[in-house]
Amino acid sequence: MKIKSLLIANRGEIAVRIINTAKKLAIKTYVIKTAKEPKAMYLEMADEIIDFSESIEDIPEFLDIERIINAAKEKNIDAIHPGYGFLAESPYFAQRCQEVNIIYIGPSADAIYKMGNKTIAKQIAIKHKIPLIQGSDGNVSSFKRAMVIARNIGYPVILKAASGGGGRGMRIVEKPKEMEKNYKLATTEAQKAFNDASVFIEKYIKNPRHIEFQIIADKHGNIVHLGERECSIQRKHQKLIEESPSPALDNKLRKEMGEDAIRIAKAVKYYSAGTVEFLLDSDNKYYFMEMNTRIQVEHPVTEAVTGVDLIELMIKVAEEEKLPFTQKDVKLKGWAIEYRINAEDVQSGFTPNQGILERFCYPNGKTTRIDTGVSDGAAITPYFDSMIAKLIVTGQTREKAITNSLTALNKIRIQGLKTTIPFHKAVLNTKSFREGDLSTSFIDTEMTKLFHQEPGEEEMAAFIAAFDYLLEVQSDEEAVVDYEKGKNLTPWLLNKRLKSL
Amino acid sequence: MKMKFSKGEKNGAMKYIAYGSGKKKHEITFHQEKGIKIDKHQADIEIVKDGGLFFLKWNNKRYTAEIVDKNQNKYTLLVNGVSYDYSIETPTSYKRKKYLEKNEPKTKIQEVSAPMPGKIIEVLAEENESIKEGDPLFILEAMKMQNEIISHINGKVTKINVKPNESVEKGAILVEIE
Repeated sequence: MKIKSLLIANRGEIAVRIINTAKKLAIKTYVIKTAKEPKAMYLEMADEIIDFSESIEDIPEFLDIERIINAAKEKNIDAIHPGYGFLAESPYFAQRCQEVNIIYIGPSADAIYKMGNKTIAKQIAIKHKIPLIQGSDGNVSSFKRAMVIARNIGYPVILKAASGGGGRGMRIVEKPKEMEKNYKLATTEAQKAFNDASVFIEKYIKNPRHIEFQIIADKHGNIVHLGERECSIQRKHQKLIEESPSPALDNKLRKEMGEDAIRIAKAVKYYSAGTVEFLLDSDNKYYFMEMNTRIQVEHPVTEAVTGVDLIELMIKVAEEEKLPFTQKDVKLKGWAIEYRINAEDVQSGFTPNQGILERFCYPNGKTTRIDTGVSDGAAITPYFDSMIAKLIVTGQTREKAITNSLTALNKIRIQGLKTTIPFHKAVLNTKSFREGDLSTSFIDTEMTKLFHQEPGEEEMAAFIAAFDYLLEVQSDEEAVVDYEKGKNLTPWLLNKRLKSL
Repeated sequence: MKMKFSKGEKNGAMKYIAYGSGKKKHEITFHQEKGIKIDKHQADIEIVKDGGLFFLKWNNKRYTAEIVDKNQNKYTLLVNGVSYDYSIETPTSYKRKKYLEKNEPKTKIQEVSAPMPGKIIEVLAEENESIKEGDPLFILEAMKMQNEIISHINGKVTKINVKPNESVEKGAILVEIE
């Protein structure tokens, strides 16, 4: 069935991105307007607006399944694209769409459910011989039990608090004799921090890389991978820079990991676009982490090196079409790097920098692509994420892409907000990044300063401040106009008058 | 760029001292005939002002600058997206400032305030604890994200004004550091 109308259940840059492809395919687009950003860019670009300004429920607009479904039914919309985040990985939402005969642009509810459940996903991986990070099955009840498990999986291991997260409540154990002390520390720490002493064990992978494979599959059993993306530059599990291909992979490893990614996707009869995430250790051993059953933020780097439009493919797959290419047609050409330009203050620990984006200008060139959902005057609010734009830069080689990136980052003009641009420049100027030597702990281990400063910036800041001050002082000293009499007044005279009043 | 000085110091020059945190100090001289000097060196600077942005060219390098905040002689600027704080002093007011600093009691209370509205999730600092610049003090949740509030100064925590689960406004003083 041809899709003639499409509701985008999302906002920001991804809504704009989907609208652009829908327009290309002559599909009528509908978007949802909220009271939180009534003048957003995606609203201007869509054909029709569904107004959710009036809040009915406490549920946020983009999470209100029934309201979205009802609106789509009312307007007789053929299909819904969830974008990323919000309802993108809700099996129930996909299920509800199916029940009311709306095409859900994404995988089946069953595939979303299975891959979204960590336990089931793990079992599927084991069954299909996909390498996993070994560990204790559940919590470890005693130090002795910990010793047995650690011996089986091999040192080093990591003890993690069951209720923990974000790096807290974790202890790395290098040798058997360090286990007793660390086990005690980990459990007491976990008790103190999370009021739950239970811990589990995993094989510790030192400085791993985050490598993920883009999958695209149709409803006729055809499935290919579109190469990998490396997303090792992260801060607290938030990706900041992504690239494709990865400097760590050769063709042999790419084939091996790509085939494993396809195998796990096939196990859940996957169709549409999806991403299989792995950790890769320094010995080139890889471990399955999870599968994301949606389009991802960093999909443009894959588009840049493969030449496909992933949103278009998702729509075509939803229309029951067959994939227009096979695995052997997929060639990665050149290099692409994506930078997330967020309104964050890198100098004070990446805190969100809310406010008005007074001006936003960016370069347009053959080697740059900007995906954004904001323009001059837009507010970066606490309601949604702090992303201003994604900058995607290409080059024939990685080296060239890095050079082009620095040029592009220097040409972006942003007024009103602090952004992650000085961070990106600092990464690009780090030797190990240039050498392609990345890991998920890159920011902690390789970077001495998280923002880049050009020589002379300090002097220019001092100069502008002094210059502005000088102009103010001068305008103060230059006679003040007395509007009453049309005569010039000096500040001294004015002072005198004020005193005499 | 042409500049006119209505009232100058000797030789028609205006001298300012930009004094920043961490003892950053730059001397800027504006001279009617001789142009601009930065730290006693002649500086040929091209400036174009467009809206609130300054586009500068100095020593063949380009800079984009913005005045984000000013309060009398205190400035916060962004140059190429990095922020700088300066207070602008005349040679006389600078001398006075230095004199006052010298005679002030050494222990000076400084404050760390909330950079945005949000909820305090965790208090990581303790009273009487010695902290260094860059140490995390609080975890503040805003925009559905947990953010570390880090100290920008060295010192000893004298007073913590917030408790976990407390909502704070932007600018609320969270902690006092001596």
